[in-house]
Amino acid sequence: MTSLNRYTVNIIIENKPLIRDPEGETILRDLIIKNGVTEVTKVKTAKLLKLEVNAKDKENAKKIMEKMCNDLRIFNPVVSICKISVSSDI
Amino acid sequence: MITNPDLQLGLTKAEKKTLRKRLDREPNTLEWAMVDAQWSEHCSYKSSKPVLNQLPTKAKHVLLGPGYDAGVVDVGDGYIVTFHIESHNHPSAIDPYGGSATGIGGVVRDILSLGTRPIALLDSLRFGDIKTSLNSKWLFKNVVKGIADYGNCIGVPTVGGEVGFDKSFEKNILVDVVCVGLGKKEDLVLGEAKHSGDTVILMGGSTGRDGIHGVTFASKVLSDESESERSAVQIPNPFLKKLIIEATLEAVHTGYVRGLKDLGGGGLTCGISEIAEKGKNGIDIEISKIFLREDNMTPVETLISESQERMLFVIKQGHEKDIQKIFDKYELPYAKIGIVKDNDKITIKDGKIVIARLPVETIVNAPIINRSVKIPNYLNKLRKLEPPKEPMDFTKILRKLLSSPTLASKRWIYEQYDHEVGIKTIVKPGQSGAAVLKLDNGKFLAIKVDGNPKHCYLDPYNGAAGGLAEASRNIISVGGQPLAMVDHCQFGDPNNSEVFWTFSEAVHGMADYCKALNLPCVGGKVSFYNEDTGTNTAIKPSPIVSVIGLIDQLSNIRTMELKEHGDIIIELGITKPEMGGSEYYEYVHNFTGGLVPKVNFITEGKIQKLVLELIKKGLADSVNDCSEGGLALALVEMSILGGKGINIDLNNVISECNRIDDVLFSESHSRMIISTNRNYVNKILDLARNYGVPCSIIGTVKNDDISINISKKEIISLTLADISKVWGDVIPKCMGEVN
Amino acid sequence: MKIAVAVFPGSNCDRDTFNVLKNNLRIDTDLIWHKESNLDNYDAIILPGGFTYGDYLRGGVIAAFSPIMKQVKKMAEKGKPVLGICNGFQTLVEAGLLPGALMSNISLKFICKWTKLKVENNGTAFTNICVQNSILNMPIAHQQGRFFIKDKYLNHLIDNNQIVLTYVNNKGKISNDINPNGSIMNIAGISNEEGNVMGLMPHPERASEPALTPLRSADGLLIFKSMLNYLKKA
Repeated sequence: MTSLNRYTVNIIIENKPLIRDPEGETILRDLIIKNGVTEVTKVKTAKLLKLEVNAKDKENAKKIMEKMCNDLRIFNPVVSICKISVSSDI
Repeated sequence: MITNPDLQLGLTKAEKKTLRKRLDREPNTLEWAMVDAQWSEHCSYKSSKPVLNQLPTKAKHVLLGPGYDAGVVDVGDGYIVTFHIESHNHPSAIDPYGGSATGIGGVVRDILSLGTRPIALLDSLRFGDIKTSLNSKWLFKNVVKGIADYGNCIGVPTVGGEVGFDKSFEKNILVDVVCVGLGKKEDLVLGEAKHSGDTVILMGGSTGRDGIHGVTFASKVLSDESESERSAVQIPNPFLKKLIIEATLEAVHTGYVRGLKDLGGGGLTCGISEIAEKGKNGIDIEISKIFLREDNMTPVETLISESQERMLFVIKQGHEKDIQKIFDKYELPYAKIGIVKDNDKITIKDGKIVIARLPVETIVNAPIINRSVKIPNYLNKLRKLEPPKEPMDFTKILRKLLSSPTLASKRWIYEQYDHEVGIKTIVKPGQSGAAVLKLDNGKFLAIKVDGNPKHCYLDPYNGAAGGLAEASRNIISVGGQPLAMVDHCQFGDPNNSEVFWTFSEAVHGMADYCKALNLPCVGGKVSFYNEDTGTNTAIKPSPIVSVIGLIDQLSNIRTMELKEHGDIIIELGITKPEMGGSEYYEYVHNFTGGLVPKVNFITEGKIQKLVLELIKKGLADSVNDCSEGGLALALVEMSILGGKGINIDLNNVISECNRIDDVLFSESHSRMIISTNRNYVNKILDLARNYGVPCSIIGTVKNDDISINISKKEIISLTLADISKVWGDVIPKCMGEVN
Repeated sequence: MKIAVAVFPGSNCDRDTFNVLKNNLRIDTDLIWHKESNLDNYDAIILPGGFTYGDYLRGGVIAAFSPIMKQVKKMAEKGKPVLGICNGFQTLVEAGLLPGALMSNISLKFICKWTKLKVENNGTAFTNICVQNSILNMPIAHQQGRFFIKDKYLNHLIDNNQIVLTYVNNKGKISNDINPNGSIMNIAGISNEEGNVMGLMPHPERASEPALTPLRSADGLLIFKSMLNYLKKA
């Protein structure tokens, strides 16, 4: 029996780069720039899922997560991209 | 990154030849792309125009018919109502949230572009089976959310709609949206560039590569490649739309806006060409002035882009600053991009260089395609099929029917829609057959959207005419006099002669209904190519219609819930054994076949007039029409909504049926149910006799249960508490939300 | 007497509120664009419902930084009546004029329906002509209406009588199953300590005409009439 390790996985779902993000644009324009923080040049909104996953190793954890995101439509590939990062810090 | 659009022209060989001939030269790349967009099925109606010409479009109260962004109806006292229907089927099948939301955006823009304020939305949706298909559930959930988020954000109430579920819509869902606007006659602005010298201003969202080839996308059949066509996906921005609504209406009130057009399918190309054609002028456009969102956009991409939330304003020469002041207040981007010219050409310039020049008539008049028709083979076979066996336990059958998502309570949907904003919603979703809004002139507007693809599949003529009859009866049931209709014809591939036959028959049915019942068609749309190459199935023929009606005073509005114990239930009209396409056959027996309810225009006209008169004379307390689910469902709805039981004797129902299930569940037209105080019964029977409408007392309002009998034998017994819960929980259960 | 109704980019219920005040109650009312810098001539201000700035980031947060809010704060400090309806309530909370937070409904869905509200405190600028413990009919329409506040501060609210309206059932009782959004203690509306600033999620302007309200109640008018009464007495 292989021992399993616990990993923290962050799944970030954001709109594809060439697709608009009206929420991000409005926050930048009407909240941040209008109130003087002109150092900021771009805002993108995203959804973050934080998961705890049991797996053999980091690669395995990532593989499982990738399959899950595709099969369960965690993100809609027509509109969004999905960035998966695995760490062993709990 | 974007493939050369040259390689994706949708023009046929014949169309290319025609264009060369008309120009008497070879068009350049930009000119090819512009004509390709304008001559797409979606923009030009090249296949459907000859058929649509049958629909009557004129009436005293119709100010503007088809051919403009929306129909315009005079509702008296200087007020007008605008009315339009749109759909976003293909985008919604791929991105249900964004597709449906931007569908709302599109129909609202059409209403806005006539200078009127959008005051209500309706949605008509079709999905696959949400009980068994995860994909259908996902689509349904996200389409509703998309419509909700967008409509709620822009502050336009979604006050009604309809949803149907059928396996044929599994891959090709239907998302139709209707919008109604209100304004004063003096504010009406048309989509025309009538005065040479006027300035053309582009306002709203910036132009990017969104939706490039969107109209050709809709004009092509969905295939597995579609999921990767990311440029056809549009992101909704309702906040921007809301600002555009307010800015546009303020601009219109200055009186200096002489032409207005929203940009939808075909982008700037179609927008500019259409206003030029309507104004009988030419337009010069300076392409460098168009504000872009992405780098290195080619002229082709700029002119056919379908980026959302863009409006074209034609401003009276010299008054540009009055309008710009308003756009600045709302911090909306805009640019002066052109000028109306006293010629007949669309001229695109880049600096001083002319990069395209096309005669307006050439762009706008796509060569008509005469499609061939052929009666489908399946029809005769299906009509003659042996009907399913008559059941024994009708209580069980009725319970089963009421668990059809198509017939169940839609509260799960409309509670997500803000249906109260605007403080005009008198009859709210779920209360009756149609929604009723308060207008500013003291009158009331009834609105309804309807359609029956299951009927149309078996008999497109009667199915389509029937959709109008049903919508009109719903308007009548709230006390409204039907005024006008818009239609949306959704069919498969027009190259398929069987499909085109169903389209022609459907329009023929609607045209005959409109002529017989004096209901003008003031607008509409046609969407072909609703089919999928993978399974080679087209959707069931789906003409969806919307009807508006007028009620002159508050006291003439009715709703369907039963009012008082002791009231008498009266049935008007004859029930016939016309079970084809009925929810009973399709959902309970999984059976497709039989004869579809026929529309008898004279009978239909009589019953509509009679019921309106009964309402006006104060003789009818609750009114409902019989349609999907037949008599049984009509009665159960009235009972559940009123929280009052009924006792019915089926022997008293006027029918030509031999079977009990036919009487209960037939969807014959020209039938309505009213409940009334027993003191009015004789007057009603007299009036019905005068009109020649069959009329019969079939029961009373009493107790807490639904008891349907044949003479003394009870064949259906349900408690209200039980059936209300069953009916109310169907959709929440499908969506995993009931404990 | 002059009332201001603030209009932000994305406000939707400004004209509804204005129409009720101007046409139903015949009060001198103005629609004021959010960039306005002087509200000295106004005796009260209402922040109406809607989707200011698209509800992006959080409902009411971007509007809370609008120029007009400085004036709103001044009016609140002077004791003038300040009412926040729905998105307006969210804006008052984000601007620090009312405590707590308005989070996403527990169902995660937008909800539009009629609710019954109990008048927990008829001593505020907006409830003084209501009968204590009476039930009012008003509709809600929101995605982020779940009122939340930490225990310590909840006790303050209770001790200072700042809970003004709660969602109740037909019998006037607070219960979980009729709580439409998961608000703590079924709170639908609160006020500041002084009672001149109030925020509520339900829409009184939508319950001001008999033909539009179930049971023909028009209870929403009581909120606006209370405001007038408060001003008359001041």
